[in-house]
This record gives sequence, C-alpha cells and structure tokens, in this order.
Amino acid sequence: MALLTISGDPASRWEEVARGAAQLLDFELVTETRLAQWMTEEFGDTPIPARAWASAAVAVLARLAREHPLLIALDGSEHLFRPAAWLLRARITTIDAHRAGNLMLDLRLEKPDALARLRELDAENKRLRKTRFSRASVDSAAFDLTLNLARTDAAQAAEMLAAAAQKRLGDQGLLSPNAADEIEFETRLELAKRGIVPARRARVTRASFGHPSEEMFANLLDFYRIHWEYEPRSFPLQWDKDGHVTEAFTPDFYLPEFDLYVELTTMKQSLVTKKNRKVKMLRAIYPHINIQVFYQKDFQDLVFKYGLRMVASS
Amino acid sequence: MIPAPENVPENIERILFTEEQVSARIAEVATEISEKYRGRDLKLIAVLKGSVFFLTALARALTIPVKIDFLAISSFGGPSNGPTPGLVRIAKDLDEPILDEDVLLVEDIVDTGFTTRYLLQTLAGRGPRSLGICTLLDRSVRRIVQVPVDFRCFEIPDRFVVGCGLDHKQLYRNLGYIAVLNPERG
Repeated sequence: MALLTISGDPASRWEEVARGAAQLLDFELVTETRLAQWMTEEFGDTPIPARAWASAAVAVLARLAREHPLLIALDGSEHLFRPAAWLLRARITTIDAHRAGNLMLDLRLEKPDALARLRELDAENKRLRKTRFSRASVDSAAFDLTLNLARTDAAQAAEMLAAAAQKRLGDQGLLSPNAADEIEFETRLELAKRGIVPARRARVTRASFGHPSEEMFANLLDFYRIHWEYEPRSFPLQWDKDGHVTEAFTPDFYLPEFDLYVELTTMKQSLVTKKNRKVKMLRAIYPHINIQVFYQKDFQDLVFKYGLRMVASS
Repeated sequence: MIPAPENVPENIERILFTEEQVSARIAEVATEISEKYRGRDLKLIAVLKGSVFFLTALARALTIPVKIDFLAISSFGGPSNGPTPGLVRIAKDLDEPILDEDVLLVEDIVDTGFTTRYLLQTLAGRGPRSLGICTLLDRSVRRIVQVPVDFRCFEIPDRFVVGCGLDHKQLYRNLGYIAVLNPERG
C-alpha cells in the first residue's frame, strides 16, 4: 500500500498537478467524484453523515490501497491518515494573482469579479474542511511537501511530486497488509457505532477500451491534462410498454470540466449512420446533455497531424 | 493571384485562400485589433513554429505599437520518457513576464481547442491584464474544448490544410496561400 494525498488552494490548478503525478506514477487517481461512487457502492445510497465522512472514506481507501497504489486528490485529504512512512501528503499553492488569472479565463470574468469569486471559493473550501475534518484552516504542518506554482508549471510540479513519491515510498517501504487491516478495522468499528455498515465492496475498475482509437484519444486527453471518464453513463433511448429500456446509448468519454460527452466513430459508414441516429435521439430526449461526435475523418487528421501510427479501424 | 500549376506542390488538392485573399483579410483583422487596443500596450505572443508567419504579417498590418514574444510547447506524439505520451509542457518559455499586460495569443489554427486551452491556462496563470486570442484559421467544426476566439481571419472546412505557417511533416509552411493537402498524392 502506498498513498499520496494532494490538496491545494482553490483555482490554483492543483487538480491538474494531481492528474499528471498519477499518470507518471501509474497510481489510481481518487477524485471527489470517484470516491463518492465508491462510497455509494460500499455503503449504499443513504448519505453518510458529515461527521462520519472521513471514517467512511478511510475505510474504503485503506482496503482499495492494498491492491492499488492511490493518489488521493481531495480537499483536506492530508487529514485522512495519520503521518506514516508509506504516506506522502502534498499541498499545491500559488499566488492570488495567478489564481484570479485562472478564474478570469475559466469563467470569463474581469479581474475584480475573479478576485471576488476567489474569496467565495476560499470560504467554500473552509466550510468543506470544517464539516469533514473539523478544521477550517489549512495547517502547513500537516503536509510533507508544499509546491508553489507561481514559478513552476503544472507538468514540472507533477514531475517533482512523482519523484518525491518514488523516493519516499520506494525507500521507506509500503504499508503491510496487517497495518492496513488495522486501519480498516478501526474505521469500520467507528462507522458501526454510528450504524453504518457496508452493503457491498467497492472495486477499482480501470477503463477497458473497446477500440484502440479510444485508448489513443484517452492518451491525447491525458497529454493535454484534460480529465476524462470512460463510458460513465448510459442514456436510455427507447422503452417497451412495460417501461423496460430496449435501447440505450453510452457515449465513449465524459469530460467533467466541460460537462461534455464525446463519442468517437471510427467505423464503417453503415455503423456511423446508426450511431448518428442514436446521437440525434439522445439530443432530442436529453436536450441539456452536451455531446460532440468525433468522426473517423477527424481522428485520421489528428493521427496525421501528430504523425502517429493509426491502428486499423473496425 | 493564383500560382501557376507548375509551382503548386503535387499533393496540394486545391487552394482555399490565395495570397491576396490572406493579406486582405489579415489587414481587416489588424484594423479591428488596432481599434480595440489603441492607447494600450499590446503584446503579441506567438507559438513556435506555425504562428510565426501569421504573427509577422499581422504585426506589420497593425497601426499601433506592439511588443512580441514567443513560446513553444511539446507536441503529442513527440519524444517522451515512457510508454505514454507524457504531458504537454512548455519547451521554450516567454522571454519576459506578462503581469498586468494586454496579451493577444496569436495562433495559426484553432481546431480541437486542446492546445489553445493549455496555452490560455498557462498564460492566464501569469496575471495578464487581459488575454485574447487571434487565429488565422478557425476549424470550429472540430472543436471539442470551447475556447474564446476574439479575432479570426478565416473559418475553414474539416480538411487538412497547409501554408502560411501550417505544415505537413515540417513542409509547406512557406506557402503564401492556404491549401488543402491530400497526403495520398505524391
């Protein structure tokens, strides 16, 4: 078991550093969304009370970390585990001018509005920390490593973190299964006292791409530090008279940052026509869903542009 | 003026915009930019190598004083240290800071938006007073990531194009016109 926790100042782009480090280390990236999915898998749909949230998170993470090294990218994640040799807790920070600049770009705001929004985000961050960990402010002593992005770009920061994690976690060994059991037992006991008992066991699932072009597209998104999820949701398109779903559509990728689904079509024309029909139905039934279709021609041009070797399409 | 057929490379399928059309349109866009930034200190930032030709033509057509700077980024499919392509990064940084400056990012083409988004994020994090985009070509039909294009010279169809800085295997950047390339020819 090896764990790296990363948190950072709002709008500092610390999430991007976390994604880069996870990619370099080949650690499983644990985001807020992913952890929420695992917690729902494990404990069901009943919301976990705020005071038990940290214990529930640790119970799930400690068990999964025995099989997969984890990079936990969550606000306040430095408080999840006690300091240990198998744990590296990092913080990403930067100056307010840069954070405001990021918001100006992301939200198309003028500088005064971006600074005001920054204050709101800082306040929201404090509230979240207070609710989950009973500590509103960030304690610099709770981190093993702090990186400032004022003069370091996200890729360099990711490399520094990956190097530090390799050095720390490689030199000082991993958490033994017995110690992991102990952490899991302690937290599950704490949860049991509150009447929270796991219904199932969450599992780490890695994207299993249906086509080589999808893997190449995922690599392209990784390269540009764009967070993606593979086939996270199916949309029912047709139902029988009893209300059972008879036809559904599962777009290939979801890009949370842009609230956008992307469908790749690298197939023969008849299948493209079928897929276009499904996309049209999806747009009609779910008008609030944004979906972009990336056609074989687009993909070939990308491959052509970047000089990559194209895998024969089916 | 359309170039004589013997001067057009064999794998050029057709000319989209002649040299004269390109120059005229750049002059129009330069007028818009000059009006918008009049009385302010504008810095044009071009991305090596493709945008250099456009930057030069645009800067010469502007009627306001401008500073220029350049940066370069690593490309997908370029050398990396592992089995995955790694992460996009700055290969050549700006020579000067841009804090509190009016910055216009000059692009040869915006298509998926991946590269432009990365560049905007990188520049926005350095605290400019304002940050805009001017592109020679906009292939918005291919857009995946939305980026705010402030000035565009031409919207182009979903074809592979070369010329005016755009290349295929580092060739054709020096063509004065913009043309559709058919790589299977020649």
